[in-house]
Amino acid sequence: MEITGQYLMNLVLNGLLIGSIYALMALGLTLIFSVLGIVSFAHGEHYMIGGYVVYFLLETFTNLHPLLAILAAGLVTFLIGVLFERLFLQPMARGEIERPGEYAILVTFGLAFFLQYLVQGIVGPHSKRADRFFDLPSVDLGWLTSTAGTLKVGGIPFSASRLAAAAIAVILLLAMIYFIKRTWVGKGLQAVSQDRNAAAVVGINPLNMNTLAFGLGTMLAGMSGATLVDVFAWVPWIGVPASSKAFVIIVLGGMGSMPGALLGGLIIGVVESLGSGLLPDPGKALAYKDAFGLLIFALVLLVKPTGLFGRKL
Amino acid sequence: MKRVPLQWILAAGLFILALAAPVLLKDQQYWLFIATQAYFWAMLASSWALLAGYAGQFSFGHIAFMAIASYASGILGRDLGWSPVSGVVAGTLVAGVVGLVIGYLCLRLRRTYLALFTIAFAEIFRLVVNAEIDLTGGPLGLYMDYLLDTTSYIPYYYLMLGLLLASLAFMYWLASSRFGLFFRSIREDEVAAAAMGVHIVRYKILAFVVTSMIAGLAGAVDHHFIGFIAPSELIIGRMSLVIAMAVIGGIESLIGAALGAIFIHFSLEWLQQIPVPASMMPKLIAMQPMLEKIGLGVGERGIMTYAWRMVAFGLLLMLTLRFWRNGLIHPIIDRLFRQRVRKETVAKRVQAAEVASPTTFGGTEGR
Amino acid sequence: MIELDVRDVYKSFGGIQALNGVTFSIRGNELIGLIGPNGAGKTTLTNVLDGVYKPTSGEVWLNGERVDGLPPYQIARRGIGRTFQVTRAFRRMTVLENLLVPAMALHPTARKRDFHERAMEVLEFLTIEHLANEYARSLSGGQQKLLELGRLLMLDPDIIILDEPFAGVHPKLMETIYEYIIEVNKQGKAFIIISHDMDSIFTLSRRLLVLNYGEIIADGEPAKVKEDPAVIEAYLGEEEEEGPVVIPAGRLAEGMEEAING
Repeated sequence: MEITGQYLMNLVLNGLLIGSIYALMALGLTLIFSVLGIVSFAHGEHYMIGGYVVYFLLETFTNLHPLLAILAAGLVTFLIGVLFERLFLQPMARGEIERPGEYAILVTFGLAFFLQYLVQGIVGPHSKRADRFFDLPSVDLGWLTSTAGTLKVGGIPFSASRLAAAAIAVILLLAMIYFIKRTWVGKGLQAVSQDRNAAAVVGINPLNMNTLAFGLGTMLAGMSGATLVDVFAWVPWIGVPASSKAFVIIVLGGMGSMPGALLGGLIIGVVESLGSGLLPDPGKALAYKDAFGLLIFALVLLVKPTGLFGRKL
Repeated sequence: MKRVPLQWILAAGLFILALAAPVLLKDQQYWLFIATQAYFWAMLASSWALLAGYAGQFSFGHIAFMAIASYASGILGRDLGWSPVSGVVAGTLVAGVVGLVIGYLCLRLRRTYLALFTIAFAEIFRLVVNAEIDLTGGPLGLYMDYLLDTTSYIPYYYLMLGLLLASLAFMYWLASSRFGLFFRSIREDEVAAAAMGVHIVRYKILAFVVTSMIAGLAGAVDHHFIGFIAPSELIIGRMSLVIAMAVIGGIESLIGAALGAIFIHFSLEWLQQIPVPASMMPKLIAMQPMLEKIGLGVGERGIMTYAWRMVAFGLLLMLTLRFWRNGLIHPIIDRLFRQRVRKETVAKRVQAAEVASPTTFGGTEGR
Repeated sequence: MIELDVRDVYKSFGGIQALNGVTFSIRGNELIGLIGPNGAGKTTLTNVLDGVYKPTSGEVWLNGERVDGLPPYQIARRGIGRTFQVTRAFRRMTVLENLLVPAMALHPTARKRDFHERAMEVLEFLTIEHLANEYARSLSGGQQKLLELGRLLMLDPDIIILDEPFAGVHPKLMETIYEYIIEVNKQGKAFIIISHDMDSIFTLSRRLLVLNYGEIIADGEPAKVKEDPAVIEAYLGEEEEEGPVVIPAGRLAEGMEEAING
């Protein structure tokens, strides 16, 4: 294939689209890390569950508006997060767990294991995929054309599903940022992430903030998945590459850094897109798609574990 | 002569049972196969327990080492005509070398970063295996020569059992020697260990090399038994299983982890189909559509559990971590074997101290 | 004879200059008190001597060998041992095992049982031999301090750095620690003791090093040092208008206490 400027633009822009959803997921993980101080190894599984919730809601209630389904997915994953946090992570925060660092890694890994097979048990191993959420109106302005499923700007095609996903992701990102920076609760989260004891002294309950942060984090993962279930084929282990990407992003962007997560998400999206688009062998390129991010990840970990922006663990 | 304590009788009994199993099972090749596989998992779980539970290196790349050795051996056999035995040796060495590299790269990584890095390593390896079809056979897998010239499972059974016992003996020796002392000090407090002169670099890398070689050995031998390997064995769910086995068995106990693996592996087999009395079968068949909706099925003798077995163990893993950090099996072993030894030793020492210098006893610190 | 030479050591972290040209030497079994206000750089200096930090510039020479930049385990083997402000016992190992670690680390071919006796002797010296088979985590804070001292004896270094050995320690235990320091010092080891406990420091030390803002502002006999105006200023923060303030030994001036405890 020819590598034209247009082709490159295609890769970059599509990378940005998918990157915005990665950023949303990574933001969730960053929130969890900043407030609880742990990395949830089950983050991708919430992404996976979010997708399945939307799929099944839309299958069962055919007139349900996709946005409502996505919100429902957010609610479900929020609740799962809260439940898990209260049962398994609170004891850590209360000092009841020995060697909490090891515990956090193992128990979230256990959660991932549990959720993967739980969902597989419920839905079976065959892949599912929702129908496209929103059809675009047919438009032809010469430089801009659109059919139900594709928008072409200057000859560069964008899938409607990805556009919708990205749009929703951006809205959610903005909402989250607003929430954290402007609302009282959000500021409470910020306070706890900076200094737990100081926050406690001024009346913010760190334990509740932990629960909230974890729930919000899993919710963001869930909604990321929810937006993409009409883009990718959904299987119970689709959370694994998603987790990997989230890890890559937070390490790249700097653990605990929100802007880092956002920027990192976009970068990974673009890198993946360029990587798989530019590799000469298309078959291998697809297989290696997930590997690019991982390689960068491994390198960043070795060279500068605190990432581009980051805070030390 | 003293009466032999109960726990040693139990242990001996278990050992004899293991040795005699093929005779007892006679024609049931199936269960011999399961047992052989159980020993394979036991090698993985116990070596991971040494790496994580003793040396504190919570690496999620263990399965990758297992597969690296297997693929190396398989490829050497296919492309260079190496015999399976040479392949196993070579594969184990390759796993050791990769373990050395990974161990070196992980030196400066603290716990969470080490976990993330090793996950990345395992995933990258899986993706490479999937992609490089010419080399590895890709998703369809790689066929491997059989290690032994026999159609019976019995020689393989003894081989795996022998390897398991040998590796347990070796790791046990390591754990009770200076290596074990250093590993544990590194897990407890790396900074303090360094301040006390423990060569952190050497022992961290050693932990990786030893355990990756054991995992590799197990993998290469097992796959020359089965005759086939595929990248589906590299999914993270497999690593989770090893972790579940080690944690449930007892992450700080080599024998505990091995027994945990055997227990879980057999349980997974038994739980594949939950038997139902013959009289209930017609009802069960009638319920089939309903059962299939929730991911269950109906087999010849009862309910097919499919993925739900794993769900049960995933839950058990989380609960064990939360409530029984030392595992489920290890505390039992500990109670049977250790309690007496410790009491004896302390009593003896206190006595000896009193005899040697009665004035120094009775320190300033009460408890 | 023990020889330690610290030459012009600087250590900075990002924008912060923690050590600013520290230079001093130790010859033989000196007993040195290292004091200074909070944040003066005492623990940083310890970390540099111990190998936890590599100096930004400057050199550290131990017994004729240059050791700055070596990893901690190499420096431990070459003869510098230390304790930590917050005790770092190997919690899930027994007291005996804790002591065996440095012994084994220093003697590559030895077996554990070769050092059992020595370890028990050390524990007896520290009056905690009855705790030999207890897990370190079940020891009280004071006992853990003794455990750390025991580990040091097994490490047998030439120079022992004690970081706040008296913090939170009750009087009876203090005695034990005093005895330990005096006895081990007599046996030929050098001590650097970091402490805010002025009583103990003035009682024990034969030489005082005062650190402030990463620089050594005084180095000498305790009696002289405590009247050094630079030292007084460092602790009190401001120059007194009337002549030098006399700090009575055995009683902290109120201002100094406040300045130290922040």
